[in-house]
Amino acid sequence: MDRVLSVDSVVTRFGSQVVHDGVSFAVGRGEVVALIGGSGSGKSVLLKEMIGLVRPTGGRIELLGCDVWRSGVRELNALRRRFGVLFQDGALFSSLTVAENVAVPFRENTSLPMDIISPLVGFKLALVGLPPEAGTKSPAQLSGGMRKRVALARALALEPEVLFLDEPTSGLDPVGAREFDRLVRVLADSLGLTMFIVTHDVDMLLSVADRAIALSAGKVIADGPVSVVRGADDPWLRDYFAARA
Amino acid sequence: MGDASAWIAQKDEGEEHGLYLKGVWRLPNAQAISDALRGLSLRSGGRFVVDGAGVEALDTAAGFLLVKRLADIGCTPATVSARGFEPRHKRLLALVYERMATPPSGARSEHLGLVQGVGSATIRLARLLRSHNAFVGAVALESLALVRRPRLFRLRETVAQFEAVCIDAIPIVALVNFLIGVVLAYVLGAQAQRYGANIFVADGIALAMCRELAPILASVLVAGRSGAAFTAQIGTMKVEEEIDAISTLGLSPIQVLVIPRLVALMVALPLLVFVGDVAGVAGGMVVGAWQLDIAPQVFLDRVHGILEIRHFVIGLAKAPVFAAFIAIIACRMGLLVARDARSVGENTTSTVVQCIVWVIVLDAVFAVAFQHLGM
Repeated sequence: MDRVLSVDSVVTRFGSQVVHDGVSFAVGRGEVVALIGGSGSGKSVLLKEMIGLVRPTGGRIELLGCDVWRSGVRELNALRRRFGVLFQDGALFSSLTVAENVAVPFRENTSLPMDIISPLVGFKLALVGLPPEAGTKSPAQLSGGMRKRVALARALALEPEVLFLDEPTSGLDPVGAREFDRLVRVLADSLGLTMFIVTHDVDMLLSVADRAIALSAGKVIADGPVSVVRGADDPWLRDYFAARA
Repeated sequence: MGDASAWIAQKDEGEEHGLYLKGVWRLPNAQAISDALRGLSLRSGGRFVVDGAGVEALDTAAGFLLVKRLADIGCTPATVSARGFEPRHKRLLALVYERMATPPSGARSEHLGLVQGVGSATIRLARLLRSHNAFVGAVALESLALVRRPRLFRLRETVAQFEAVCIDAIPIVALVNFLIGVVLAYVLGAQAQRYGANIFVADGIALAMCRELAPILASVLVAGRSGAAFTAQIGTMKVEEEIDAISTLGLSPIQVLVIPRLVALMVALPLLVFVGDVAGVAGGMVVGAWQLDIAPQVFLDRVHGILEIRHFVIGLAKAPVFAAFIAIIACRMGLLVARDARSVGENTTSTVVQCIVWVIVLDAVFAVAFQHLGM
């Protein structure tokens, strides 16, 4: 299997607090993987380490054949064009309109003229299911669900091979969250994207992910197809899946 | 790259128009692909066959360009058939076609012309001033409520604000006024020396500092320091919905946030003006002793002789008025922040500008009024 992401015995310490104590796993191309774990289990930190924002204390992270923490700035920036990130609250630029937000990656990283970028931006917004009038709005005027969609359109702008999603359904109502799940699944299937999702949401895990990795007390406690992880004999995992009733 | 045949070849097969795609159909080649598609002489009507056997890679950007070109000449799924594509490319094209049905407008943010810009800025300013008025009314009502129930007054918060706006500002206010005293003494001294009227420098410094300069300088410094801080603090609280939390706890944001700051500033500014008076006169005195042969003792005697108490009181009396304007504007602009990061910065800038302008306007009004009152 073509390996897209590998995390090899990653250790993270903040002062005396150990966040990760030897975390290892690998993700193949086209997989949709969900990382689950309780609050404070270091999921978001691990995500930031994978995308080159927080340096792990030890271990090795390889993304798309590039060692994230041993590459130079130039390599890292080239790598950054090949993956997209959906941040928890969207992280849209508040001084730009929705359409300008989605246009930023095109304008900064390609030399395409505006008469190609504009229709592409419009298409990206339609791709994530936004209505036509959304383009001229400012992010402050949007609902939480629409902000996430705009952020997804921006993350998809440069046709990434890997998409990282940090708590994509947090703050959405159940109906909006399920719609978002469907959108993510459709994109994964149709575009052949590799997706790495950090989530609390059991429904999202069950409806979107092929595989689940559970993190607890700084270690991977379960890794496998969702059905297998669901049946795993671990008190935290049992409570986690039971919470859904 | 300009060669269209690198991406697409057109072959008509009887009734059908055949389009043979090849190469890497990805975003980095979007420009060339777009040109190649535009270069095709496609006619509407008839059936199209798109052959994807030669496609090495395909992404949504390039897929969109292809599907849009075909849709623009009126093709529908009934008149276009695809063959030879890898299954995942076919799925991708299907998704692109399904989603592009409603293309949102990609309009950019509006840029106003000169006349429109001036007009809309004027209307905004008028609205702002009117809403400031309403806010002053609200603060007055809440203050009355406090007078009736003094228990509700937040002494601890007021003292904390007082420390930040007064105690912490003393060094900078003293320094700036001292230096202005020095500069003024030099300028006046250079003129006065020609007439052998050195001692009149003491008159000029004492009157100018106490009556006008110390109040203005202290107010401008406080507007920049504390006014900006008030707007940024309250604005950030607004962004984090803390103001809403205060309201839902049954508290009044005006009583919790605005009145402590208003009271603290109204007490602090006269004190800062006094610090400025002393520092300014001291600055003049240093230059007098050093450059103009006026002994400090003589300088102080002269100041004591000519500086009537009314000049000093007028300077101090203006300070609470300036303070009230600064505090009200700063808190108001903080509460007006919208829920985004840029708005905090814009409103903070606006606070400082409005405060400084108001201080100077008020000072001019006072100058004229006192003149007519014979003070």
